[in-house]
Amino acid sequence: MSIYGNAVRKPITTLMIFIAVVVLGLYSLVQLPVDLYPEIEYPAITVLTSYPGANAADIETNITKPIEDVLNTVDNLKEITSVSQDNSSVVSMEFEYETDLSLAANDIRDALAFVEDYLPEGASKPTVFKFSTSMMPVMVYVITSDESYEGIEKMLEERLVNPLNRIEGIGGVYLSGTPRREVQVQVDPRKLEAYNMTIEQIGGVLQAENLNLPSGNIKMGRMRYPVRVEGEFDESAQIKDLVVGYHDEQTIYLKDVAEVRDSIGEMTIDEKVNGLKGVSLMVMKQSGANTVDVASEVDANLKELQRFLPPDIQIMSVFDSSEFITDSVMNLSDTLTFAFIFVVLVVLFFLGRWRATFIIALTIPIALIVSFIYLYVTGNSLNIISLSSLAIVIGMVVDDAIVVLENISKHIERGSSPREAAIYATNEVWLAVIVTTLTVVAVFFPMTLIKGLTGVMFRQLGWIVTITVVTSTLTAISLTPMLSSRLMHLKKKRRPLLVSHDRTILPMLNGLDNWYGRVLNWSIHHKLIVTILAFAIFFTSIGLAGRVGSEFFPPSDQGMMSAEVELMPGTRLEETSRVARQIEDIVERYLPEVELISATAGTDEDAVMETIWLTTGSNIINFSMRLSDANKRDRSIWDIAEALRVKLRNIPEIKNFNVNTEEGGGMGGNNVDVEIYGYDLEATTLLAHQLSRRITALEGARDVAISREEIKPELRVELDREKISRMGLNTAMISSALRNRIDGMTATYFREYGDEYDISIRFKEEYRNSISDIESMTIQNAMGHMVQVGEIGHVMEYWSPPNVERKSRQRIVTVSAKPYQTSLGELAMEIQGVVDQSDIPREIMVEVGGAFEDQQEGFADLGLLLLLSLILVYIVMASQFESFKMPFIIMFSIPFAFTGVILALLITDTTLSVIAGLGAIMLIGIVVKNAVVLVDYINLMRDRGYPLDQAIVLSGKARLRPVLMTALTTIFAMLPLAIGIGEGSELWSPMGISVIGGLIFSTILTMIIVPVIYRVFSSRGERAAKEKMRRKFHFMDDNPA
Amino acid sequence: MKAIFIVYNQAHSEKVEFMLDRLEIRGYSQWPEVTGRGSVNGDPHLGTHTWPELNSATLTVVEDDQVDRVLEGVKKLDALNEDIGVRAFVWHVERWM
Repeated sequence: MSIYGNAVRKPITTLMIFIAVVVLGLYSLVQLPVDLYPEIEYPAITVLTSYPGANAADIETNITKPIEDVLNTVDNLKEITSVSQDNSSVVSMEFEYETDLSLAANDIRDALAFVEDYLPEGASKPTVFKFSTSMMPVMVYVITSDESYEGIEKMLEERLVNPLNRIEGIGGVYLSGTPRREVQVQVDPRKLEAYNMTIEQIGGVLQAENLNLPSGNIKMGRMRYPVRVEGEFDESAQIKDLVVGYHDEQTIYLKDVAEVRDSIGEMTIDEKVNGLKGVSLMVMKQSGANTVDVASEVDANLKELQRFLPPDIQIMSVFDSSEFITDSVMNLSDTLTFAFIFVVLVVLFFLGRWRATFIIALTIPIALIVSFIYLYVTGNSLNIISLSSLAIVIGMVVDDAIVVLENISKHIERGSSPREAAIYATNEVWLAVIVTTLTVVAVFFPMTLIKGLTGVMFRQLGWIVTITVVTSTLTAISLTPMLSSRLMHLKKKRRPLLVSHDRTILPMLNGLDNWYGRVLNWSIHHKLIVTILAFAIFFTSIGLAGRVGSEFFPPSDQGMMSAEVELMPGTRLEETSRVARQIEDIVERYLPEVELISATAGTDEDAVMETIWLTTGSNIINFSMRLSDANKRDRSIWDIAEALRVKLRNIPEIKNFNVNTEEGGGMGGNNVDVEIYGYDLEATTLLAHQLSRRITALEGARDVAISREEIKPELRVELDREKISRMGLNTAMISSALRNRIDGMTATYFREYGDEYDISIRFKEEYRNSISDIESMTIQNAMGHMVQVGEIGHVMEYWSPPNVERKSRQRIVTVSAKPYQTSLGELAMEIQGVVDQSDIPREIMVEVGGAFEDQQEGFADLGLLLLLSLILVYIVMASQFESFKMPFIIMFSIPFAFTGVILALLITDTTLSVIAGLGAIMLIGIVVKNAVVLVDYINLMRDRGYPLDQAIVLSGKARLRPVLMTALTTIFAMLPLAIGIGEGSELWSPMGISVIGGLIFSTILTMIIVPVIYRVFSSRGERAAKEKMRRKFHFMDDNPA
Repeated sequence: MKAIFIVYNQAHSEKVEFMLDRLEIRGYSQWPEVTGRGSVNGDPHLGTHTWPELNSATLTVVEDDQVDRVLEGVKKLDALNEDIGVRAFVWHVERWM
């Protein structure tokens, strides 16, 4: 017994099966985590090696090169890049997406084992470091304070960081920019000299005094007592009264030669939030933990914890990646709801019957719910890809149910009992329904096979559409007949009401059918004109295609903006902070959309994590800005960024800046890189600067940056070896002595309430801020004589060599640029033009890459996908029609779908991105389905004996409504996606636009051009079976041959 | 005894069975799927892609006096909708066991 027979005969079983599916689906839906994208681990591994004392060039030859050479053969390696800088080498490897990184890390360790013995002796063992998304902060808060600023670190550590760290899924909570308490002993070198003392001696005294030591036990009477000497400082005020020595019978206290301050250490970082002193708190999640859960948990906890903090401490969120996720997901859920409503309305409009509409609409939730089960079982999340896929598919799932229901109601009207009509009517169409579903599957299934980044994104789309469409077909041949047998009944003939469907919409639809019949009749009698016109339209649109810009992923307005501002290398922090304040003022005055601005100038030497994604330095300011909601402001984030750029250009102190509008979850980046390969550092730097100047002059280029760092000024103490040995000194002694005087010597620790604070001794600032200060520093030699640095050497100013970057084992400099009011593709073309015109020395090689390269890879993938889909669609159709010719006729509709896409993109001024391209490919399925339905019916009519022309017009009229219904359900379902208001919609609206444009255009043309082409390719009487038989069998003829 | 051969659109099998029950005719043989086409008009019922509908056939052997009642029933059925395409043919049964 068939599925539909059983379904109708056992309605309760059928209902129960579907209820079971729905229950499982809802369970999965509740359990599904919410995320922005399907989980993508960025497949990169870094090998860090340090070699103290070596400069960039030494590191390159001795460390980086040998490591690169052995690592080059690791499996699945896509690209190897490296940076050799003073003291350390960083080799980064990028793998193909979805490479097993643990396996790769093992391969890397094996490979490194070969090279370790050949590395220089002083070099450390190379460390393998796996990049993971858990190193990127999911939330950043800034904490501002007023009176509590001094002691904020201890307070936050205890009352905020520790409790937060206990939350499940938290990978780490870090504070940066916190002031650190330190006891500073600032020495006046003149006085030291007068008393013939050194910093090291004072350090020694402090060390010797700040001690608690056990001194054994004594027995007294019946007891045994431990003896301890307690000399540790109880409070920092004691320190200044220490006796550091004697001079001329006089006691010298520490306060005589130095100033003791219990204060906060010298800051190398300056953090301000909206101009207030602030500290930033970064929250990282564990790899695989759910961002939204972690974020809401952290938020809830912070509110609770804030009660334990002093009232002047304010916590503000700068960046919360979960916000964008929740907004996008909510937005898409709304889209889905609207799509559902539109589809139901379209069905109701055409059928005009409530019960039929209900039966058809029921397939939508069932089909969608099954995809939740798929997501849950495969460990995926509810993300914008999966939700958009559902929005895409919602218009397609009703088609099969419509076909089945139409046939059932035809039988009922003929007087069959609903039960029998359900069984036998389904029997007549089930095969046709499955075949049309197969054409859709033929388009979407190949998507599950794409590799690379595009693959990670679209595999889910492919699976969801395939699964949902197959489910909808299964529902259409089981649940739909079952419900029809129960709910449908023969309508009693009665006068239709005045404003009923029969009186209003039906005549309209009949009129449309007749009008279309006349148009079709004219068209097939003017084949040549129609064909020429169609091709003219097609080629015109191809001509226009050049005007559509191209892009990898459409950028989205996430309401977050960051800027990196670089001043002259070597600028001191105070100066950098001043410029930061100036920029803050500008932002406040000219960019009212910015709700929160957090500025970090300089670098926090202890926060290593931060340096992974931010470039820091005393001359660099990093801003992050939170903007008001996208729909509450007039200017887009790109315009605001541009306004900021214009202002930044006018500040003379700024050497370079970069305004970034993609934060947290920006896919693939959005820049064009010019890669300059060449060994000669000077020549390549020169070329990079030349190109950078010419690219900056291009209209659409913004944020032009050169990857090679600027050379930095540096002071070097050059020693005369002969003199120092005669003085009884050596380089080590001198360098450590200078370090103690300039950077400070941490002599001992001051302990209070279980925490330790550094006690550091160094020269007062005014004695260490010029070259002559360094030269006049004195060092005590082994004989106790004081020697001035100026006597044994001199201080010279140098420019230190830049870092050496390499890619694919060659030295490289990249000049990168971002597009503004132009597309990535166009900018890349223009830059290519600049490169072509430039005079490039023979030993230097220049390539244009970056996100543009990814884009081209993405489009190549899509091209392959298109080809695969076309072949599969051809295969399905050829077997359906048992003909080589019919698929060609049908496929004539495909080019016009692309015409529609191009026109829609042009009209809406949207760029062709991978997403829009994907929309175009999806169209194939829908467009082909429409054409299949039409051609199949023409064949049917001809087989039933109608003459060719009549068969074409008749089928056109008969099939107009189903085709319009399919097209309209999909168009309306896509409409909310295309209009896309709210955050995150930029990503998917190009797909909606291209599908709607393509579908409108191709539906109109399919209904005209496919019948015309059909007419061109077929001859009258070709399908007349009787004629064929007569030619085959001659035995009945009067005189058989 | 007469044999009555009734052919009709598959989707109306229930009605034919109901008719036989109403006439208290117990015995019959049935072919659930038969193909065929009418002599005058109507769509062929061939079960192909072109003509997807199918017929069923029932052969019942009844006493001579029941024939008219059966034919009357078939006529009523045909009057419901001519698309059902129900037809009945009666012939003489010579011997049986």
